[in-house]
Amino acid sequence: MSEILESGYKVKTLFKEEITVKDFIAEGGQGAVYKVDYRGEEKALKWYKKGSLGNNPEAFYENVKNNVLKGSPSEEFLWPLDITEWTDGTFGYVMDLRPSGYAEITQFMLTHVRFSSYRAIIDAALHIVSAFRALHNAGYSYQDLNDGNFFINWQNGKVLICDNDNVAPDGTETGIIGKPRYMAPEIVLGKNKPDSLSDRFSMSIILYILFCLNHPLEGKRYLVAGLTPELQEKLYGSEPLFMMDPENDSNGPHPVVHKNSIVVWQCLPDYIKKIFLDSFSKKACEKPSSRPKEIDWIKALTRFRSEIVPCTCGNEIFTKENEPCKCDSCGKVINIAFKLELSEYSIPAVKDSRIYRCQLGVCDEKDALSPVARVLEKRDAPGVLGIKNMSENRWDAVTSKGMAKKVASGDVVPLKNGIRFTVFDETVMIKSNN
Amino acid sequence: MPSINSLTDVPRKELHVFYVLDTSGSMAGQKISALNHAMEECTEALKTLAKSNGDAKLKVAVLEFNSGCKWVTINGPEDLEEDFEYEYLKAGGLTDIGAALKELNSKLSRHAFLNSMTGALMPVIIFMTDGYATDDYDKALAEIRQNRWFSRATKIGFALGDSPDVKMISEIVGNSEAVIKTTDLDLFKRLMRFVSVTASMLVSQSHTTETESSGRHIVSLAKEDLNVPQSANVQLNDNQYNKEPDPVPDNSTWDDDDEW
Repeated sequence: MSEILESGYKVKTLFKEEITVKDFIAEGGQGAVYKVDYRGEEKALKWYKKGSLGNNPEAFYENVKNNVLKGSPSEEFLWPLDITEWTDGTFGYVMDLRPSGYAEITQFMLTHVRFSSYRAIIDAALHIVSAFRALHNAGYSYQDLNDGNFFINWQNGKVLICDNDNVAPDGTETGIIGKPRYMAPEIVLGKNKPDSLSDRFSMSIILYILFCLNHPLEGKRYLVAGLTPELQEKLYGSEPLFMMDPENDSNGPHPVVHKNSIVVWQCLPDYIKKIFLDSFSKKACEKPSSRPKEIDWIKALTRFRSEIVPCTCGNEIFTKENEPCKCDSCGKVINIAFKLELSEYSIPAVKDSRIYRCQLGVCDEKDALSPVARVLEKRDAPGVLGIKNMSENRWDAVTSKGMAKKVASGDVVPLKNGIRFTVFDETVMIKSNN
Repeated sequence: MPSINSLTDVPRKELHVFYVLDTSGSMAGQKISALNHAMEECTEALKTLAKSNGDAKLKVAVLEFNSGCKWVTINGPEDLEEDFEYEYLKAGGLTDIGAALKELNSKLSRHAFLNSMTGALMPVIIFMTDGYATDDYDKALAEIRQNRWFSRATKIGFALGDSPDVKMISEIVGNSEAVIKTTDLDLFKRLMRFVSVTASMLVSQSHTTETESSGRHIVSLAKEDLNVPQSANVQLNDNQYNKEPDPVPDNSTWDDDDEW
């Protein structure tokens, strides 16, 4: 490969800092990553191979430099913090080091690492969607979204997004078209260049992989003996077909090879199935503007999160309409004592249930994941539940006996049948299931 | 709801990297030593890449030719995610490259080496020779060219030492620009590693509008990245010796089977 940077190697940056290389971390297709000393702190340096700067190295450099100057759109991005000067025909950029406890999506795909729970998967999905919402909202597109870009914490679902060197103002041609298997059909076919709408398609592929550990377009057709470039173009470009398409099973799941999809899909709630079906429908493949938006994903995922109830055995149960259900691990019957009725659906009110801003009527997208309420257990009385006002606004509540009360930020309302409160012009009703 | 621990890893296509290596008597000495070291480095690099490859399951198969030919990977293609140790080869004998092509042809089939349940991607085939064929390779070459796996493979050739038959190796890989000629054994090692890694990782890399999977493209990347001298270029008029037919438009379908 290219010359490896020696420990002790020094290079100057845009902000007139001097970087000192400390250790080699890893090598990838485009170059290598080193641990470096930068302003007295340990940071990571991505250093490019000369041959991987694309067709227009100067424009590529300028784009990374602009990203450094503009700053990160949200905390999920391992954003370029500084860029080196041109050195011997190439350059690098500085970013934060990846903390421990995170693994690449690829490691999850190979089951070298597994999520600790479905809630952690949903939280990872929410972090991904919300990061791309912020990125797109800031006028950028990612352009090269694939399984190598994400580091995920398998315990809590926190996400770090790397490789932000191709992020560019939406509509800019960077020369990069993306990684095979993750490009949107219009990019595969050369009909368009990557933009925020093709990002949405690639993001849906990642989300399906997180839940089902299969690629959504790689059903039976993928199993052809020799996958030539022409067949790949059909599979991902001209004839894409979702493996779970209910009307056409010619690319359906193979009973052995795609067992993951078969077992997970049947347990997913209808609204999650629907958003995947909408993401990979013929219409979504052909008409990029019809793809589900980030806010649609956030709404579906927060609802899904609300409906998962932990069993005492540690298993997670996907509840449906608050009906009693049986844990399929220990067999225990779970009764959901209370539910919270929102305007469009109701969610179980169990310990740690949450209501997010986007579950209450129309909201500004940037506030979608702001916490509004959370169910807590009384510290000195296990089993007694209350709902805490996590928002900054005061709630107008009405007790079960019809008395008006105010609930200040941080206050807790006991879970009792008939109590209702109004937040952001939406009414939430506490109802007993018994 | 299924336990997260019960799910299996994502299905992946297999991607085979074939090495077809000259171990004739003329390779004796420093050349065979350089080849062994190069192969050791290549397989170590590929093993590292295989362990975190979500796009393909990497496998390696090594065929040596001298007086006749022999699979070094005797149990078929080796899974690079498992323990695989490259065994050093010894030099001796003739340069029966025709025998190697015949053997390779017989294994490039879904009924032989390419028999995975999930199917395979187009293989990578790396040829290396330092001499002239000692058998009649024309017939074997004509036959293997009819093999769709071969014709669609990413093929790269190394012509090593003072007197390699660059025409022959160009004919085999189908393009003189996919051949690198060198006497510099250290450069040879670095080039082998570069083309092995680059060719096997093409499916896992972000593409530009210019990206191709041809051997010619990979060789040009290698020359740029490793500052390879001009003398490594093989300048032939491909029309005069290259009898590879124009690539037949691929009209395979999802249900295609026997022909592969």
